[in-house]
Formats: sequence, C-alpha cells, structure tokens
Amino acid sequence: MRRSLAFLSLLFILGVLLYVANPDYGLKFGLGGDDWKNMRYTDDYYITHGVNETGGTNIVTDIVFDYRGYDTLGEATVLFTAIAGAVALMRPWRGDEDEE
Amino acid sequence: MKSNDMGLIVKTMARTTIPLIGIFGVYIVSHGHLTPGGGFQGGATIAGAGVLLLLAFGLSEMRKRYNHKVYSVLESIGGLTFLGAAMLGFSVAFFYNTLWHNGPVLNGQPGTLLSAGYLPIMNLAVGLKVFAGLVSALAAIAAYRRWKE
Repeated sequence: MRRSLAFLSLLFILGVLLYVANPDYGLKFGLGGDDWKNMRYTDDYYITHGVNETGGTNIVTDIVFDYRGYDTLGEATVLFTAIAGAVALMRPWRGDEDEE
Repeated sequence: MKSNDMGLIVKTMARTTIPLIGIFGVYIVSHGHLTPGGGFQGGATIAGAGVLLLLAFGLSEMRKRYNHKVYSVLESIGGLTFLGAAMLGFSVAFFYNTLWHNGPVLNGQPGTLLSAGYLPIMNLAVGLKVFAGLVSALAAIAAYRRWKE
C-alpha cells in the first residue's frame, strides 16, 4: 500500500515535470534572438563584460572564481568536509591490529 | 596475496605515464583562466596519476610514498590560499579582484599567462586542494581493513 502510494506520487511528480518542460507552457530550449536577450540577459552580460572585468579569457573560470566566488568557496568546503569525513570513517577500528 | 602489485608491463607503462599525467594536470590547472578546465578538473587529473600509482605498484609502495600528515597539510594550505586570494581586495569587497584592477603582478593582457588577477592563484590553490584530498581519500580507502573471510 505504502509502496504503491510512493510510486503514484513519483509518477505525479514526473508528470508535473514533463508538463513544465514542455516548450508550449514552460521552459524553452535552444534560445536565440529576442528570447536570448529576454531570458538569458545575465549570460549576455558575462559574455560581454567578462574579459574586461576579470581579465580571464575563460568565461567559466571568470564566473566561478570571480563573479560567484562564494559558490566556489562553499564547494571547496564541501569537498574538504567530504574528504575529512571519509578519512575519519576509514580509520582502523579498535582491535583490528590484533589479527594482523 | 603477499605482493599486490601488477605485472612488469603495467608497471613499466605506469612509470612512463604517471609523469605525463601529472604534467598534463599541472597544465590544466595553470592555464585554467585561458583554456577549458581549471582547479577542480586539473586536480582530479593529477589525482588520477596517484590512482595509477596505487593500482600499478600496490599498497606497499603507496605506503612508502604517502604520508597522510603531509597531504592533510597540503589540503589545508590550498584552502587557506584560496581564502587569502579572496581577501586580497578586502578594502573594497570580499572576492574583489584587486590584482587585476590595480595590482602589481598578474595584470597582463587578457589571454597571456600572467593575467586575470587572482584567478591563477585560486586555480593553483583549488588544484592542490582537490589533488591532496582525492589522494588522501583514496589512500584511506585502500588501506581500509581487509575483508573477513
């Protein structure tokens, strides 16, 4: 009963996402022309001003390290925490050394 | 089960390809502000050389070359260098690229290696951090206690 309910709710969410991703009602793919100017004006700004404002010719690096540096800082923190957690969990258990 | 390394051919090939992988990873990291790639990708590439070392030469060789204190210090140095580069322009704002706007170094023409302000510093820091972190996590997993038969 619970499993079928969970499956039905998954199906419902999938249907809603398919509805949203329909170009007639929601998201549009392959933007160009006026749609690009209206919906991707931030990307347009980055592409136009990125090289002058940060000096790097790789726009992705400009955005990741300069415009949105906090995001990269958080990503580095996530990586640090993940490594610290993995190494801490992989330490030998108490009494493992007796058998070797 | 005494020797857990691979055969002669694999070891010889690893001996020649590990420096190439390392050089290519350093190239990706140091040209992160000019070409596709950057700190995360290049660091993962260099860590691939560490994976190859562990797989080809076995855990005993890895134990000799790997010191987990050194690698944890390297990871911390990477993170702190990233934060220090972010705080260079702290008089204006956090993450203000002051080296590019009015800095003494790293303010060359866009497209040259010594340009883009703190972006190369941050790429190097993140690359070092990712490399040290992945290698230390891999070594911890490889040195995990054996399966009980």
